[in-house]
Amino acid sequence: MSTPRDVEITVGYPALPGLEDRLEKRTVKPAEGDAAPWDATTKFTTIGTDVDRVDGLQKASGRAKYTYDITFPGMLQAMILRAPIAKGKLKGLELDEASRMPGIGAVVALKDLGAKVRFVGDAIAAVAGTTLNHVRDAIEKIRAEYDLEEHNVDYVVATDAPLLSATGQIEEPWAEAAELEAALKEAKVTHEATYRTEVQTHSSLETHGGVARWNGNDLEIWLSTQATFGCRGELAQACKAKGIDVGTVTLHAEFVGGGFGSKFSAGIEGLAVCLLAHAAKVPVKLMLDRFEEHTTTGNRPGCLMQARAGVDADGRIVAWDWRSFGHAGFTGSGGVSVPNYYTADAKKRTAHKDLNIDADPPRPMRAPGHPQGWFGAELFLDELATKAGIDPLQFRLKNDREAIRLDQWRFGAAKFGWDAARARKNEAGARFLTGSGLASARWGNLGGAGRGTPHGITCRIHQDGTVETRSGAQDIGVGTKTMMAIVTAEELGIPVARITAMTGHTTDPSGPASGGSTLTPSIASAVRHAAFLAKQTLVEIVAKHIGVPLSEVHCAGGKVGSGTAQLRWADACKLIGPNPIDERGKRHPNYAEKPFHASQCGAQFAEVKVDTWTGLVEVTRMFGIQDCGLVLAKKQAESQVLGAMIQGVSYALHEQRIMDKRSGRMLNGDFLRYKITGVRDLPRLECHMHSIANGHDSVGAAGLGEPPSVATAAAIGNAVFHAIGVPVRHLPITPDKVLAALASKKG
Amino acid sequence: MTVPSDRGFSRRSFLKGSAVAGIATTGLTAAAHAVPAAPESFGPGRHEIALLVNGKEQKVTVETRTTLLDALRDGLDLTGCKKVCDRGSCGGCTVLMNGEPVTGCLVLAMDAVGQSLTTVESLTEGDTPHALVQNFVKCDAMQCGFCTPGMVMSSLACLQKRGKPTEEQMRTDLSGNLCRCGTYGRVMEAIQRTAAGGTGGGK
Repeated sequence: MSTPRDVEITVGYPALPGLEDRLEKRTVKPAEGDAAPWDATTKFTTIGTDVDRVDGLQKASGRAKYTYDITFPGMLQAMILRAPIAKGKLKGLELDEASRMPGIGAVVALKDLGAKVRFVGDAIAAVAGTTLNHVRDAIEKIRAEYDLEEHNVDYVVATDAPLLSATGQIEEPWAEAAELEAALKEAKVTHEATYRTEVQTHSSLETHGGVARWNGNDLEIWLSTQATFGCRGELAQACKAKGIDVGTVTLHAEFVGGGFGSKFSAGIEGLAVCLLAHAAKVPVKLMLDRFEEHTTTGNRPGCLMQARAGVDADGRIVAWDWRSFGHAGFTGSGGVSVPNYYTADAKKRTAHKDLNIDADPPRPMRAPGHPQGWFGAELFLDELATKAGIDPLQFRLKNDREAIRLDQWRFGAAKFGWDAARARKNEAGARFLTGSGLASARWGNLGGAGRGTPHGITCRIHQDGTVETRSGAQDIGVGTKTMMAIVTAEELGIPVARITAMTGHTTDPSGPASGGSTLTPSIASAVRHAAFLAKQTLVEIVAKHIGVPLSEVHCAGGKVGSGTAQLRWADACKLIGPNPIDERGKRHPNYAEKPFHASQCGAQFAEVKVDTWTGLVEVTRMFGIQDCGLVLAKKQAESQVLGAMIQGVSYALHEQRIMDKRSGRMLNGDFLRYKITGVRDLPRLECHMHSIANGHDSVGAAGLGEPPSVATAAAIGNAVFHAIGVPVRHLPITPDKVLAALASKKG
Repeated sequence: MTVPSDRGFSRRSFLKGSAVAGIATTGLTAAAHAVPAAPESFGPGRHEIALLVNGKEQKVTVETRTTLLDALRDGLDLTGCKKVCDRGSCGGCTVLMNGEPVTGCLVLAMDAVGQSLTTVESLTEGDTPHALVQNFVKCDAMQCGFCTPGMVMSSLACLQKRGKPTEEQMRTDLSGNLCRCGTYGRVMEAIQRTAAGGTGGGK
């Protein structure tokens, strides 16, 4: 079974209804010993079908053990004392009385005397005790004193903040750019506007935290994380820096209650639980509470953005000037991205500056920088199109340079009923106004970062016919385990039910963080390679057993053998013996040949109903089309796309961190006052998974954390603009802003 | 939310008891009305109580301030109910008390004494998981899964109360449960499928 050196594959995708196919031939060279690539012509039995989530029963039965659920006899619970001030220095810290309180096992300082306090919630000390009630009692006995400094939590007056008009428009003059100015001057229609978004918190339902226990110098930790190996390294180093002679570190994260970008680092809570367990010499659990989760574990930064642009008589964008101001914390970046595929022929410029305030810094959150930038840019495009008298869809078709999305626009518009929706007129004086909007999506990591790293996968075939596929990387809810089981089942030609997939233990082969939508494309081909190697070993055993040449034995359709000498899978596996076939697959480099495409495309359409009496916006329906490479786990992929749309509704209409200027504290750091979308806000949702053979490697998978998160808020913003005739340029689109917009129209 | 009114030690029953006692001491009630015994006093400190969970009486040591959620999770290792907000705003710790959904974080453990409690674990105690649980899997009504047990319990209460709930009724009954991954639509599918008699299966 030697691997062919040159393989001709078909990349691209068959025709979307009513359109033409985009299939192309490529000749690729698979790595020595790797499986031959799957492509657009491969007939699958399991891939792309509806398969139940392999750990679904564990989750729905409440029996799945998340970090929060891990417990040991004699385990202590812990909490962190948080700074109540936004800026200053720690002047005094008295821990003795707390450590003498009943039930207290350990107290550790997390900040040195004289160290800076950077935001409300900065960690000062941590306490472990028999119950959280004991710990709360003890924390009240800690005396921390601070030197106060003047703080600022308002971006409007932050250093480098731009000059604003009374209506919130940026008034700062644009820096000189002769060619751009000339293009603007020549344009038939020009437009300029300012957009704003607010800080959004990740709001994972399982808070950050961990359970640590030491066995001598060896640390075992359960951590709610989206980067098992990264956090293992981080904690080993951090404990060493605290003077602990760390031996081995084993990390577990078999079930993770959401991350969305906030759980790449073990954080101060991860270090604190290790230090407490080391000091108390018993296992310790430290999980953050909801206020800490909102205020100390990062967020999606808000931003202020301004665009000016011009279109020519043909409706083509000829000038594009963009600047943004990111809303970071005391450190970190508030980076903003904008679509670049509409402005390929334009004279253009983009500029960005971060603004800092004395608050918790941002962390990556599903498609960092994108939903905010796309909201501004896509709403700006609709305003520009309206000024130029062009339908928003036609304006996209004229300017979008990505061929895949051009198909998606046409297909999506037909599915959604775009023309009819836009032609529908609201009755004059009606209380409820409906409107429709659309927006694009793009994510650029396809075949990018993470995929080249040599991660591994273990595949074991046991004599009872069961198969294990194992990765030390984590499944944060996207269905990684299910994907691994499906790819393995496909490669071995057996049902998913025979396969156990495991993730989240660093005792298994290394895998990447769940970030940037790179996990699935990083490991899918390694999963396949491991199964491919295990299959070869089984084939060798069977060939020897039935006495035919190796090259004549095949493993497919639940059988292993040659011609009439076929063994059923279960019988073939009986030949293995007590020690399972145990193979290690690896991630080979991407094929050197040009892939079909390097970034994922998508488009979403939204319909809203606006109550002009109350200003309330209801998203009534949405349609999304999303390129996701080869769709491996169809049902779970759809779940992820639909879920991203729901999060997008939440971002568009509800979510906003509100800071108290005086105390520097978040005023709505809980689920009562920080609203996330609930079931009552749920629109009718539909998605189409656009399966594309991208030709990057033997599987050609893509991730879905980021791509479907980009367009939603933008499409909703455009639908509101269509409904009420004036743009609401500031997320979230809350009733007050809608009523103000309606009033401005009348005025 | 239901607060037990006849047994247990809720604030409401405590106040009711002391009001009657107060009236008795001022001599305004007839002697025929037996003066209720002064409520048994608990706390501070730890006490052993018995909770009736999933049909079995189980002993657990709590303080008066211990919530039902903490008693179930830390005392009985029933970790299906999740601590998410600890303020009754997310539904992650939903259990049934006498058949009614309650958030375990807003009930004191001592108030649950003598009440019949049902947790999500009861739905998979037999050989075959409850049809609702199977349909959650079938409809992929979960992603990270952290809100899922609470969703299952609110869905169970919805089904028990409504039989064949309408979409509006489902939205009402699930409105106290938050999901960050965005599984609401599929949860409603799982309820509908269960109401229609469909069961799980799949590969």
